Formats: sequence, C-alpha cells, structure tokens
Amino acid sequence: MNGYLQLRGISKRYGEKVAVDALDLTVPKGCLYGIIGPNGAGKTTTIRMIMNIIIPDSGDILVDGKSAPADFKNRVGYLPEERGLYRKMTLREVILYLGQLKETPRKELESRLDGWLERMDLLPYKNRKVEELSKGMQQKLQFITTLIHNPDIIILDELFSGLDPLNIELIKNVLLEVKREGRTILFSTHVMEQAEKLCDYICMIDGGRKVLDGSLNDIKSRYGKNTVHLEIDGDGEFLAGLPGVKTVTNFTNYFELILTDMTQANATLKAIADRVTITHFERVEPSLYNIFIDLAGHPRGGDGGRA
Amino acid sequence: MKKFWTIFAAEYSQVVKKKSFIIGIILTPAFMVLITVLPAMLMDKGISDPESYVVIDADGRGIGAQFTASVGRYKLDSDSTLNAYKLVKLYEIPSNQPHELDSVRGILDSMLLTKGLKHYVVLMPRLEETDSILMVSKSTNFKTLSRFDRRISDILAAMRLEKSNINLSIDSVLSMTRRVEMSQVSPGGKTRDFMSMYFGALVFVMIVAMSVLGFGGILMRSIIEEKNSRVMEVLVSSVSPFQLMMGKIAGLGFANLTQVGIWILIGLVLFANRSGLNIPANVGQIIFNPVLIVFFIVYLIIAYVMYSAIFAFIGSICSTDKETQNFMFPITMSIMMPIFIMTYIVQEPESVITTVLSLIPIFTPTMMVLRVNIMAPETFSLGNPIVLEAVIGVVLSVLFTIGIVWVTGRVFRMGILMTGKRATFPEIMKWIRYK
Repeated sequence: MNGYLQLRGISKRYGEKVAVDALDLTVPKGCLYGIIGPNGAGKTTTIRMIMNIIIPDSGDILVDGKSAPADFKNRVGYLPEERGLYRKMTLREVILYLGQLKETPRKELESRLDGWLERMDLLPYKNRKVEELSKGMQQKLQFITTLIHNPDIIILDELFSGLDPLNIELIKNVLLEVKREGRTILFSTHVMEQAEKLCDYICMIDGGRKVLDGSLNDIKSRYGKNTVHLEIDGDGEFLAGLPGVKTVTNFTNYFELILTDMTQANATLKAIADRVTITHFERVEPSLYNIFIDLAGHPRGGDGGRA
Repeated sequence: MKKFWTIFAAEYSQVVKKKSFIIGIILTPAFMVLITVLPAMLMDKGISDPESYVVIDADGRGIGAQFTASVGRYKLDSDSTLNAYKLVKLYEIPSNQPHELDSVRGILDSMLLTKGLKHYVVLMPRLEETDSILMVSKSTNFKTLSRFDRRISDILAAMRLEKSNINLSIDSVLSMTRRVEMSQVSPGGKTRDFMSMYFGALVFVMIVAMSVLGFGGILMRSIIEEKNSRVMEVLVSSVSPFQLMMGKIAGLGFANLTQVGIWILIGLVLFANRSGLNIPANVGQIIFNPVLIVFFIVYLIIAYVMYSAIFAFIGSICSTDKETQNFMFPITMSIMMPIFIMTYIVQEPESVITTVLSLIPIFTPTMMVLRVNIMAPETFSLGNPIVLEAVIGVVLSVLFTIGIVWVTGRVFRMGILMTGKRATFPEIMKWIRYK
C-alpha cells in the first residue's frame, strides 16, 4: 500500500520508558484513519512525532514520499489533545491569526470565516472574546482553526474528548465532507466504538507497539466468525458459564458473545432461551473492543474501550 | 519569514493596543521626572525659612560669638536679604561646670523634638586641641553641616595663626582663606553642572532598565500563558519554535522602541521650544548629544534582546508566574547594578573596576550608557578611550547575546511543551545538548 503519510520504524523513548516502539503505519490519501488504543498506548507521542513537535529517536516519516517537506506545516491542520486558545482575543482574531500562521492570505480567511462560524453556530460570537465561550463552543472554535486554511491532511488527537453527542455528530459530518473532497484525516481516540463508526482504516496500538492495522472491513471479516449480539429480558450474569461461550462483553444494552465454535450456536441459543427471553440474536462482526482484547490479551484502559 | 512577520505583527499590535502601553508612554516619563528631577529641584531650591540654631560655648574664649557672627553672613538665596540661619541663643558655660552643660543639652534635645529648633552646636573646652565639636540636628542636612564645619575650621585656623606670631588679625586671616566655588568643565569648555549630568545619566539608565524589565516581563508572561492555555502546541505545529521566539522578541521590542521613540520625540519638541519653557541650556546639551543618543539606542536594543532571551528562557522552563519570581530578583539586580553603584561610577568613570564591570556582558548595556553619559564624548573618535570601550562593549555584548539566544532557542523548543512543573537543571542541560 502506497500511503500519503508513512511512518517507518518510528521509535521514541523517554528515559527507561518506551513510548513508541518501531511503529510502521501507512495512511492512504483521502481516507479517515483512526489510531486507537487505550490511554498511554503512545497515540499522542506518535501524532506529535508526525507533527514534528517531538523528534523520533529513530525511523522515518514520509509525506507524499518525501521526508519532512518544507510546506508540511502549512498543509496540515492539527488539533492537539490538550486544547486552548488565546482567551483575550476575539473569535475572529484567533481564526485569522492562526490561519495566517499557515501562510493563508488574510482575504481568503476572511471570506471563509463567516461560513465556518455559521456552520458551528458561533456566528453571533464573531467579535466576542474567546473567554466568553463555553467549553464546548471553544472546542468547535478550535476545530474551525484546524480547518480554516483548507489543509490537505487533518490530524486530530483525541478528537471527541469533551464534546457532547450533538457536537460529535456535527463534527463527524464535517469530517465526512472533508473526506469526500479527497483530503486525508488521521485521528486518535481511545473510544473504540466511535472509531468503528467513522473509520475506513485503523491502527490499534498498545504499549507503543502496533497490535493490528488495515481497513476496517478486512479486520472485521478476519475476526468476525464467532461473534453474536444478544439482547435479553433479565439478568445476563449466567451467560459466561454456558458451554460453548468463550467470552461475554456487557455493552450498555446488549451482550456481545464470542463462541468457541459457530457450528454449536444453536445449542447455545437454546441454553439461553431456557433461562431468559431472547429479544434479539444476531451473528455479527466483532467490535473493535473485543478484537483489541483478543489481540492485546488484556482489557487495558478499563471501561475506556466502551463509551 | 512570512510567519515571523505574522507573529511580529500580532505581538506588536497586542501590546500597542493595550491601555497599559498608552499609560506607560505618559506615566513613565512622569515617573522619571519625579524620581530624578524632583529631588534635584528640591535640593537646589534649598530651604525657604531660616533654620534656627543654638550654640553652647563651653570653651570660654569667645569662639561661639565669632562663629555666630560668621554664620550670620549666609543668606537664604544669593539675591535674598533674609538670613539663612537664625540664632536662638548663645549659651556661654564655664568649662568647670559640666553639669550645667548636660542640663542645657537636655533642654535643647527636647526642643529639637518638639519646638522648631533645627540644630545646636556644642563647642567643648580647648577645642582647637581636641577637635571636639558636636552638631546635633533634627535631621541630617549636609549643606548646613559643611557650612558650620567650614566656619569653625576657619576660626580655629585663624586662632592657630594668631598664636604663631605671624601677627595677623582673625578677620584678615578669614578673608584670606575664603573658599571659591569650583565648577566642573568638560574638555571643549562647556560647563557641566553636576546635578544635570548625574540625573541626565540616571534618566537614560532608567529608561534602559525599565524597558527591559517591562517588555521582557510581558514576553515571559505571554510564553507562560501560551503554555498554560495550550495554544503553544497549535503554534509550533505551524511555525518553528525559533521563529516563534524571535517573532515575539522582535514584535515586543519594536513596541518598546515605539514607546522610547515617542519619548525622544516629546523631548525634541520640548528642546525645540526650550526658550519658552525655561529649560537650562546645559540639560539640553547633555540629553541631545548625538554620541549619547546613538550609544543609548544601540545599547537599548542590545539590552532588550539579551534580557528578552533570558526572560524567554525563564518563561520556557517555568509553568507559573510564581515560579518565575525566584529568577526576577537576580535579573532586576543585574540590570539595575549601575544605579546601585552610581555614586562610585560618577566619581571614577574610568577606573579599572568600572571598566571591567562595564565589559561583563550582562552589565555592559546599562553600565556603558551610564559611563558614556558621564564622560559625554562629543565625537565618535576611537582615540577617546570611552568611545573605544563602548564600541568593544557593543561587540562583546552582541556576541554574548547571540550565545544567549542560541541557548534559549534550544531550551525554548523543549520547554514550551512542558506544563505543570519547572524543568530541572539536568533536564535543561539535556535540552541544550539535544540535536
């Protein structure tokens, strides 16, 4: 696969601790690519190395086949994990300043400004100070500053943290639109369900190492042979003890079961039906969370895997 | 380069738009006038009322009477007919009655505290042998002290002469020993009044010190703010840390120059209208000497860049304003150093100590501005040692500044992403060595 952004054998250690260990990663042009993994897996370090904010100890980072092209800083839109803007500036000033730092002419920025503010429901605040905005509004403002210069590649660290469901939907729609324009989006998240709904490609990392990568469809079909979704009336406590059930994951309103042998699914279904009423039983692709646990061999990050 | 100018413009406009900038333009010169010209005016103006004094003569040879007579010649002003000193009483106490002396002194002490008495002078017995003369004053007054000292010394000198059989009357000795007022003149013959030289120099040094501390402080706080608000990471994803640092230093520095430029302009306007404003000519000569102005501007810029780099260094290793306070003291001290030792430098502007101190780069800008002001060279001739030393100072401090900027650049790029704690010394050393 010949990617737009390529990481080859990137490593970074802080003293004794290895943050990222010989990571290879290929992001194709025009896709939505998710780096997923629990907290402390090395996602932010990886992204900061791509951004050239941290210099890797070893390895290469190629953009369009070239190592550190001079104009990369202008072609990228970056939303760091820890967010903040100049509190005393007005929204307009912040957007224009950060846009001009990407060497986009002021006039061009001005012409896009109102459209973006409108779209993010921030137009009435155009000449207000950033500190007057709520946290969620500041997030949306920062999202605008990430996109105002029409970057070719957009890099978002922990994209959804601190956003309410409505704003998540709003931002998802923008991202899908950007993708349709042929631009590339790379984001990291520890919330696997969100990655699952949005990504074309994923890379799972844990403890600085790559656990798995590829297109979401490939991965799901590769690991998706023994998984069923189950909805029941009553307590699901007993499910783990049933013969033929390898693991049980309790999602908010359904269970995901991984069976030892799919040919025995009928027997398992019967055993469940003897105890409770089944409202839904479906053979599905596994969730990324279960694939991750299966591969990493541990449920790191606690319930972080399930939003 | 385009990004540098974007940062430059943003930093500049942010500072210039602030109310504090406008206030600074007006308030700083007002403050300067207050701390420099006002004491000079007060000292010069002298005392408007006669100072009352008492003399206790325990010597018994009439020295007290001679003393009061000669003090009586001082007038309030040269063109005034009022006496400068008012004798309240002359006590003549025989030398064999020390108890009476003590009780009189007790009364006079309380008069100093409660009544309007300013001084009393005690002439002890055989004072020409023991030099035991006391002056007790309500508050220290150098002018009166030196006048009284001179008067009594002259009387004693005359008495000694009289004893030595030269056969001159006291009055004729006194008239022969009259002292002259000496005025200091710079080469070229221009009269330099000490006060205007001293305070002129002080004004220039204060402008350098205050600009550096003021704008350096703004730089430091803005770095800490960008760190804490996490804007920093967005910024360094768009510009290189070095561009960011230099853009900020240059933007704020230009704001600083704008302010000083406005002051100079105000000064020029005042100078042009000096006849109507009653500005003494010698003040104008000192302040508008082109050599002084050129060295002042050059050293102001060097001082600003040097200390801004130091402030940027501190800003990048600290994460709160509080943490920076430990560093503020030594910085303030080193920039204000010449002011603390100014009385020495004014007297010894070319001594080895002064020269060495002024060639230590962190002291160079303010020290040289002070020395150049005191020496007041009138041409840029390198044959003049002060001009030569000032030029060497420029070279050394520029080299030092380049070094500081380099070190800060390396620490800055790492430190700006650190929040929450202050960097340790080993960490900083690692950052400097880091490729």
